[in-house]
Amino acid sequence: MSLASLSNDQRDALQELTNIAMGQAGASLAALLDEFVDLSVPRISVVELADLPPALASLVGKTNLVSAVRQSFQGYLRGEAIIIFGEPGCRALADLMGFEGELEESGENELLLDVANVLSGACLGGMMEQIRAFTETNGPAELSFSMPSVMARQVMAEQLIDPKKVKWSHALLLEVNFTIKNRNFIAHLTMLMPEEGIEKIRHITDEFLAAF
Amino acid sequence: MSGEAFSFNLAETIVKWLDVGIFVLDKNFEVQLWNNFMAHHSCRKSEEIVGKNLFEAFPELPKPWFTKKVNTVFLLNNFSFISWENRPYLFRFAHNRPITGGAEHMYQNCMLLPLKAEHGKPEAVCVMVFDATDTAIAQSLLQEALEAISEISNRDGLTEIYNRRYLENRLSSEFDRTRRYGGTFSMILFDLDFFKKVNDTYGHLAGDQVLIEVAARVKEKLRTSDVLGRYGGEEFILILPETNQEGARVFAERVREAIALEPVIYENITIPVTVSMGVAEYQAGMASYSSMTHQSDLALYASKAAGRNHVTCYEPALEKLAD
Repeated sequence: MSLASLSNDQRDALQELTNIAMGQAGASLAALLDEFVDLSVPRISVVELADLPPALASLVGKTNLVSAVRQSFQGYLRGEAIIIFGEPGCRALADLMGFEGELEESGENELLLDVANVLSGACLGGMMEQIRAFTETNGPAELSFSMPSVMARQVMAEQLIDPKKVKWSHALLLEVNFTIKNRNFIAHLTMLMPEEGIEKIRHITDEFLAAF
Repeated sequence: MSGEAFSFNLAETIVKWLDVGIFVLDKNFEVQLWNNFMAHHSCRKSEEIVGKNLFEAFPELPKPWFTKKVNTVFLLNNFSFISWENRPYLFRFAHNRPITGGAEHMYQNCMLLPLKAEHGKPEAVCVMVFDATDTAIAQSLLQEALEAISEISNRDGLTEIYNRRYLENRLSSEFDRTRRYGGTFSMILFDLDFFKKVNDTYGHLAGDQVLIEVAARVKEKLRTSDVLGRYGGEEFILILPETNQEGARVFAERVREAIALEPVIYENITIPVTVSMGVAEYQAGMASYSSMTHQSDLALYASKAAGRNHVTCYEPALEKLAD
């Protein structure tokens, strides 16, 4: 077993943790948009860096153009959330938020950033709440977030991350899809944590398993 | 968090003097805290603002949008951000570069934070205002530099009109646009008559001067949307959007006359100049813009054959002549 991999038990524990957290993210998105939001069961995998671009491509479809927002988080957990939007989603989002007619690019970017921020904040916030419930840490387990930024507009998903520019070799990839009924809106939330983050997650899942 | 060892409250003093704007709003948008950064930049003291409704104190704020932003923080119990790239500022503050300049106002990033007891619901929202002016200026300088680079890479060094690279991009995009949305456009390919003789007789510097002069004479005749570029050695291309073949022919005649009217003078040498021109119009069903360059090339060849200083429009019969 490589340093980066998770055992089945650890994976199950993480699945349970993220299910609840992602549910909260979906509820927050629903409250923001005032629409019913469906979400997929979160998928968890440890990916090698070289496999990340194709993994993202298979997540959103190889031929589709996407826009993406990134947001980093630090503190108890450290990593980056990448929220990927299918191109029709941007338009649907503008409708949902009550923008009419042509939306200027800066206005559309603002929408993407807002939605991305809500998803990553709610999801990680939810995870932290669960973690606090069973771990004994020195001081409160807290996270802080940096300002989100648009990392790409209308590119192929495979081009989102350039493996040459990344320092780590393995990452924990959490994926979940949010869809809105009767709308052409899909957002994919992925969370990437480098190796030491994976180590931390293993530790957390072990504590979680021990607590029950 | 309290500074027991000091005669003042540590956190309170830092918040007051931090070089970041900090203010706190309750659910009714009544201001609960207003630090020195906010006071000094807005020229409104804390005593003046605290207890007042934010929008009554600052009627110029974008009320519907900011209300929604803050209410979302209360509702979702989640932080939120505002980037200067989407909205340059929340408060129109002067920037802190009155001498060095470079900006009209302070660019701002904002972070909105829900304030609550450990397991409670948010009772207030803290807004932090960061001065992002330096970043914004650096970004706009970078943008200008990139634009300058792309401008340089699209220009011909000698004549300063567009180069082949730009012409090909432009032909391709004009072709795609016309195919998609309808309408038409034409192109004119022309070259200097007996240019090799000019170079051989008077030298390359004289030849260069002729190219510069011809480019300048054509440029004077351009309409706003026309594009002129040097395609290669003594070959030029004109792209004429929204112009059919007859319109292009009339325009080509005007350009031909303007060039032939006067000789070019180079160091007291009089060099007569004329051009031969070929005109081609977009036709539905063409596979790509290279069909147009091919057709204008055939028409140019016909102009040469007709004795030079001539304009020819493409017609299918020219294809046979080429064989």
